[in-house]
Amino acid sequence: MNDRIIYLDNNATTPVADEVLQAMIPFLKEQFFNPSSTYPQARKAAEAVEAARESVARLLGAGSKSEIIFNGGATEGNNSAIWGAARANPARRHVITTAVEHPAVLEVVREMEREGFRATYLPVNRHGMLDAADLIRAIQDDTAVVSIMHANNETGVIFPIGELAALVKKVDPDVVFHTDATQTAGKMRLDLQGELKNVDLLTISGHKLHAPKGVGAMFVRRGSRWRPWQLGGHQERGRRAGTENVASIVGLGAAARLVMTHPNHSTAMRDRLEKAIKDQIPNLFINGEGAPRLANTTNVAFEFVEGESILLALNDHGICVSSGSACTSGSLDPSHVLKAMAVPFTAAHGSLRISTSMFSTDDEIDAVIDVLPTVIARLRAISPYWDVRTNSPRTDVDIFIQGKYR
Amino acid sequence: MIETWPGHGLENERGEKVMPWDYSEKVLQLFRDAMAAKAGTHMGSIDDPDGIGSHGSLSCGDALEFAFKVDATEPDPRRQKIVQARYRTFGCTSAIASSEALCALIEEKGLTPIQALKITNADIVDYLDGLPAQKLHCSVMGAEALQAAVADWAHKRNIPLSELGLDAIPTGEDEGRIVCRCFNLTEPFIRRKVKELNLKTIADITNAIKAGGACTACHHEPGGLQDILDDTWGRSDSSQAATPAITDPQPMPQTSSSMTRTPFQLAREVDRVVESDIRPRLQHDGGDLEIVEIRGKKVFCRLTGGCQGCKGAPQTMRLVVEDALRAKVDAELEIVAI
Repeated sequence: MNDRIIYLDNNATTPVADEVLQAMIPFLKEQFFNPSSTYPQARKAAEAVEAARESVARLLGAGSKSEIIFNGGATEGNNSAIWGAARANPARRHVITTAVEHPAVLEVVREMEREGFRATYLPVNRHGMLDAADLIRAIQDDTAVVSIMHANNETGVIFPIGELAALVKKVDPDVVFHTDATQTAGKMRLDLQGELKNVDLLTISGHKLHAPKGVGAMFVRRGSRWRPWQLGGHQERGRRAGTENVASIVGLGAAARLVMTHPNHSTAMRDRLEKAIKDQIPNLFINGEGAPRLANTTNVAFEFVEGESILLALNDHGICVSSGSACTSGSLDPSHVLKAMAVPFTAAHGSLRISTSMFSTDDEIDAVIDVLPTVIARLRAISPYWDVRTNSPRTDVDIFIQGKYR
Repeated sequence: MIETWPGHGLENERGEKVMPWDYSEKVLQLFRDAMAAKAGTHMGSIDDPDGIGSHGSLSCGDALEFAFKVDATEPDPRRQKIVQARYRTFGCTSAIASSEALCALIEEKGLTPIQALKITNADIVDYLDGLPAQKLHCSVMGAEALQAAVADWAHKRNIPLSELGLDAIPTGEDEGRIVCRCFNLTEPFIRRKVKELNLKTIADITNAIKAGGACTACHHEPGGLQDILDDTWGRSDSSQAATPAITDPQPMPQTSSSMTRTPFQLAREVDRVVESDIRPRLQHDGGDLEIVEIRGKKVFCRLTGGCQGCKGAPQTMRLVVEDALRAKVDAELEIVAI
């Protein structure tokens, strides 16, 4: 066992940055006021929320800070965006999304189907990429909303949201276009007045960019069709009721400023990691390698071993990463994203996701490069599908047809 | 773990939520010992084994090959003790630990193959100081592979399977109608395990043998898991069967018919001009054009073949495609490149 923690699961969550925490503390202590209160003591809290709004607007390249609504995170944001767009278009009863969305979108669309909406789930190819032609063909007369993630949380594959949104608007400008930018905010430059100018709604989450959990933001373009989801107060101009989570909102603002001053993630770390493990480990492939990908995400599939064993063995060296294996979840099905990409069954259970943050170091990558080949080699030695003598898959595995008595 | 998993978080035997790695110390120790190839562990193959059997498959996410050697100095095969038990396992932490447990149980007690048959998945679970409910199938896999190996040994020694009580288990692995298509499990197999392991609900079945654990389509379809349960235990017994709602995350894409919006005539005209004027010119340069969709007066199309990614593509679109379609079909057409 190892006391050192090597955290490379930043697509799951990130540590709160020091400057973020420092910015928050006053609003948990002496500046505890409700920003809606009328006495002057509360003014600082109200001003801090507005300053954070300004920072988030700049992070997203929004034209006006009034287009930013603070909320409880991307799951709330996605629920609110999709339902709100559908309710603002009551005559329209069709929704389009993709087969690889985060459950915070997929489950919403499934629920809409149960309530009588029709839905189209766009497929992806072997590299995890969408075909714009499928999107265009899917648009119907009564399509209310298209929801397509900006980058996939499991593979890091980036969808060309600017182009896709422009195409949707060409077909029908009244279709609302939503994108879940949880994985791209803070990792890529976002420009809602430029490349993303056809996006109506965009959702982000604080804890993926070094702000705390439980805070997020939604961009609602001025003039776009959308109705508020959470009612019960005048906060956020009546678009998201509930007393502001001031400290966390301030934290999100500070995090937005932090990631903007940090240069874009370089692919150097990821590429070094991928090259090193490819050189040392046979029978692996990088999921999504044939598509544009986030600089911080590696999703690698090892044939003939199972992901949960890899995770536990790596964790014995202090390494925290995640897997698309079925065994890491209550489900017995491997990742819906890898299934949609038709990852071969020899590898679907052996996938590993390694995701860095701006605080990740070369030493941490070295630790993975150091440990991973040994772990995979040992698990393959244990695996009945592997021939240790030739260091390649056994050729007589046809004897392994399920449970055959010989 | 990746945060997108439906129903993530496991349950222990009391139905309490536990973390995925809330394994007993024994499970973790056996896994770590196997990973470290510690002396006394049982990972490995046996050349010329006296009995060998397997269970599981690569697509299911776990598989086990179990083999043993007996003490050949004893002349009576029925009294030969297993002196060496070995496994090769593909699977999660608990699958590997279950395999270690199976081999250790047999070797420690010096069992004959016939005595070893009495080992059940419950014995393996006990040896491991418990397994999360969703991981019980790992122990079942061990018991299945053991039965297969003993059947193999009996076959080699000309010992009738009926003598071992194995004749009830059809060799050839319970051939029959496939009920759970995700894990390729047949009706006879599921019926046998439902009785053997006293499985009362769909969740029990999924935990023990994985059936119904992925797409869930077989839960309530005719001849599905609920029907097998009702048939085995009577309807009232299993009506409370509940199971986590894990739904297929990948429905088929639907595409809309554009006929209602796109005048057929227009589409035909566009096609005609593409065939007669545009395609020959593009193909001359090793390229081609795909008309993706026509909506109103907007033609969505893309250049393919040699034109794909060509620097001159936007110009080609305008000068070759747009000019021809506007001149010969409709001057108001808008060409949208995708």
